[in-house]
Amino acid sequence: MKRILTELAIKKPWAVIGIALAITIFFGLQFPKIKIDTDPENMLPADEPARLFHHMTTEDFTLYDFIAVGVVYEDGAFKPDILNRIYNISSELEDIDGVIAEDVLAPNNVDDIKQGSGGSIVIGTLMEDEIETQEEADYIFSRIMDNPMLRGKLASKDGKAIALFVPIESKDKSAYVASEIYKITEKYSKGETYYIAGLPMAEDSFGAEMFSQMAFSAPAAMLIIFLLLLLFFRKVKIILAPMVVAMMSVIWSMGLLIVTGNTVHIMSSMIPIFLIPISVLNSIHIISEFHDNYKKYNNKAETFRHSLNTLFMPMLFTSLTTVAGFISLALTPIPPVQVFGIFVAFGIGVAWLLSLTLNPALSTLISEKTLSNFGASDDKHGILAKIMHLFRNVSRKYSKAIIVASVVIMIVAGYGLTLIIVNDNPVRWFKKSHPIRIADRVMNDHLAGTYMNYLVFESDEQDRMKSPEVVKYIESVQKELSKNPTVGATTGLPDIIKKIRYGLFEADSSEAFIPDTKDEIAQLLFVFEMSGGDSDDLFKMVTSDYDKVNLWVQLKSGDNVAVQEVVSHADAFMADNPPPDGVHAQWAGLPYINIIWQEKMVAGMRDSLMGSYIVVLIMMIFLFRSFLWGLVSMLPLTITVMAIYAFIGYIGKPYDMPVAVLSSLTLGLSIDFAIHFIQRIRELQKKTNDFSKSFHEIFEGVGRAISRNVLVIAIGFIPMMFSTLVPYITVGTFFLAIMIVSGLVTMLLLPAISNVFQKSLFPKNK
Amino acid sequence: MQKLTSLLLTALFIVALGIPVTAQDATEIMKKSHLAYYYAGDDGLATVNMTIIDKKGRERSREFVMLRLDESDGGNQKYYTYFLKPSDVSRISFMVHKKVDGNDARWIYIPSVDLVKQISADDKNSSFVGSDFSYEDVSGRPWTEDNHTIKSESELDGKAVWVIESIPKKKDKGFARKVSYIDKETFLPLKEEYYNKKDKFIKEMRSVEIKEIEGFLTITHRTMKDIKKNRITHVRFESIDYNVGMTDELFTERYLTNPPAQYIK
Repeated sequence: MKRILTELAIKKPWAVIGIALAITIFFGLQFPKIKIDTDPENMLPADEPARLFHHMTTEDFTLYDFIAVGVVYEDGAFKPDILNRIYNISSELEDIDGVIAEDVLAPNNVDDIKQGSGGSIVIGTLMEDEIETQEEADYIFSRIMDNPMLRGKLASKDGKAIALFVPIESKDKSAYVASEIYKITEKYSKGETYYIAGLPMAEDSFGAEMFSQMAFSAPAAMLIIFLLLLLFFRKVKIILAPMVVAMMSVIWSMGLLIVTGNTVHIMSSMIPIFLIPISVLNSIHIISEFHDNYKKYNNKAETFRHSLNTLFMPMLFTSLTTVAGFISLALTPIPPVQVFGIFVAFGIGVAWLLSLTLNPALSTLISEKTLSNFGASDDKHGILAKIMHLFRNVSRKYSKAIIVASVVIMIVAGYGLTLIIVNDNPVRWFKKSHPIRIADRVMNDHLAGTYMNYLVFESDEQDRMKSPEVVKYIESVQKELSKNPTVGATTGLPDIIKKIRYGLFEADSSEAFIPDTKDEIAQLLFVFEMSGGDSDDLFKMVTSDYDKVNLWVQLKSGDNVAVQEVVSHADAFMADNPPPDGVHAQWAGLPYINIIWQEKMVAGMRDSLMGSYIVVLIMMIFLFRSFLWGLVSMLPLTITVMAIYAFIGYIGKPYDMPVAVLSSLTLGLSIDFAIHFIQRIRELQKKTNDFSKSFHEIFEGVGRAISRNVLVIAIGFIPMMFSTLVPYITVGTFFLAIMIVSGLVTMLLLPAISNVFQKSLFPKNK
Repeated sequence: MQKLTSLLLTALFIVALGIPVTAQDATEIMKKSHLAYYYAGDDGLATVNMTIIDKKGRERSREFVMLRLDESDGGNQKYYTYFLKPSDVSRISFMVHKKVDGNDARWIYIPSVDLVKQISADDKNSSFVGSDFSYEDVSGRPWTEDNHTIKSESELDGKAVWVIESIPKKKDKGFARKVSYIDKETFLPLKEEYYNKKDKFIKEMRSVEIKEIEGFLTITHRTMKDIKKNRITHVRFESIDYNVGMTDELFTERYLTNPPAQYIK
């Protein structure tokens, strides 16, 4: 097999190049058909019960996702000029395409029900027109505070913040609507900042920013890798091949993804970033080997035959283990992660094939003249060589200390793993200094919250929700939830009923209670509809059949831990105080959806990581035909995974979606160096039968190849660390950490173990 | 050149002359339509059945007796509504004193708390008892509040109609443009289309059934459809009676708590 591929590439380079090019063009032509999907909700399968219920709820109650717009003035926001600006902004934003104008919650769009003369009630618009006096501003503030449905939403209790809630037709319009709102606020702003927040907007904006960052990061990484390779090998013509291989692997797998009808999701947009380093790795080994041996053969075909012969098995297995890491993602219950895993795995296969065929084929086209001064002549004295020699001395001299230190590191890391906090929040995918993060912080500090969850009470019986026991029960759940620090406000049917009584009985707060008869509840709600109250507002809280009630639970945090805590709080209360007969409760809302998919993701990733760990171990035992070597080869991987995740645990970085997905990359990449190391040292040992010689030699060719890889990948992804998106920073940091830790462990611990346990690991040849 | 100028002048003259003439006609038509629609007889009585069907096909029904007394044709009116169904709101009664210029006064009687409450609201566009009809749709929007133009003359459901466009004189929250299809014979609107300020089609009224009752042509079944919500309200009038001799006294607070037995069984 290896012979056929290599000979084909060496003997018929143009055929190989032609075929590769044709396939690349075919897949390249698929790119215009790209379908982009940035909705994190699609992290759950379309038929996931929690998602179906969420959709049914939004249908039943005509609920829309919304964007929150707010402004804060430390010395009080309720002043005529400020309110007039808010008035103009909210009047203008109603015209933005995609905004549900009639549902905008703003001072000029909400009813104000007040007491008139002779015990009458007067219904008007809270802010009919621009105002002139401070009294009018104070009045508007006092009316908001008097209304439990508006308090904390339209204005903060201290009067320092004003907010508008802007419902939008669909989530995928939220980034656009947010940018239009920004333009309007800029127009009216006299220097103050208008904050724009909300989960759907954050999610949609993230998708949009992610693609633009990808368009920058992938080429930037390619460029840096190119420059580093140039620094190492000095010949543009030689390092062109690995770049072409990397690019083609990306084009093939993205093309196949598109042609098979898959959408490019937030996850799959990361495929290029994952494929580039993985596909470059093999090429660096080939070139390094070629580089080290060319002087010996002085014939490129021969050098290639030799290099590929030596590297075939380790390359096959490093690719297979990485494939195993990613293909295991196909077993997670999260569709975009499955797609991501499968197509990265496919890309790794392509990269492997191309580096065995296209790489040599392209190199045969380089004249021997170009290569005349190419080779390892000065390598043994270069910086890399010097570092490797240092490693050689240290690992030989302090073998036992290194082993002991590794054990200590594993124990410390083991404890660190227990400290990991599982948490995610799409808003936190933006850097702290990003306007979306700032808006989220400021608005949730002042107001009742920008995250909306829904607690739905259901019954099979029509009109059940008019019965006093049910309404009073819901009121008790509200009371309990209001004790939770994450809950900023709850709004529901009981509030409407109490508010109508309050209005009917001359604003007497002792009258604001839930009545004892079903008829009175029905009649009060009827009054609400009769007295200019918008029935649409009512039916966002109860169905017109009165068989379901929707309690709006407004949260100040979208962190999954906080949302989970609220859900558990309510669930525990409802377990201790069961709802009236025939009524049961169920959660909906985007924050709730997020905790559901996080749960699935954490469990799914854990299983897939465990599964692929075992698969890789079996592969290693098979590759080395030795149980002992199999176990030893797993050490760099094990320590790298433990160290990186323990570090996350110690610094308190939440274990979120990107961190979870990166575990498969860590697993797939950190075994690679060990494979090359062990394969080579055993070969050397077979040849020399002298451990000292083998030990000496391993730090030359293989050592330099590994150190080049470490540098290329680690440095190549440094630009990602300057991204405004946290997952990008995470990915860049992971590449760096995986390379450095697994490189260090491979070049320190493996030699140390080989040294200390040489008798068991290298049984004397017969 | 001379010819062209005179031609242009003639054209201008026709246009200048044309606009006020059609406007006059259109306004006249809308006035007649308004009177035929909302002011039949001096008073009127009917049992009204209202069904609201939402986009998911969920239905809500209300049944009420409605009394109307006109002060003068095209002038102020008084309405009295007594709810029969749904059963949990039966005996609720509701009274409106409609003022052609100015805010309507409304009173509601809530039997479960035995309370009469006066409500004043400045929003005639808000929904009438949760239906797709607004208060204004129920009691009529005076023709004087809009500028009307005849857009075309055409045919609808086999009847000759004027297609008239009405644009509010003062900015209105309910609509920015209305197109009415007025039956040339009866002056009753067969269809009305409402557009918002973005000129988006928002709601549609249709006269489904017209009957002659006591000499008055009456729309006995009409629908109002909210385009965006995909919701429709059917209103059917039964047991209609005109000129029964109602007095002002009926439309006072006293009768809110004690419905007039002669009209409401």
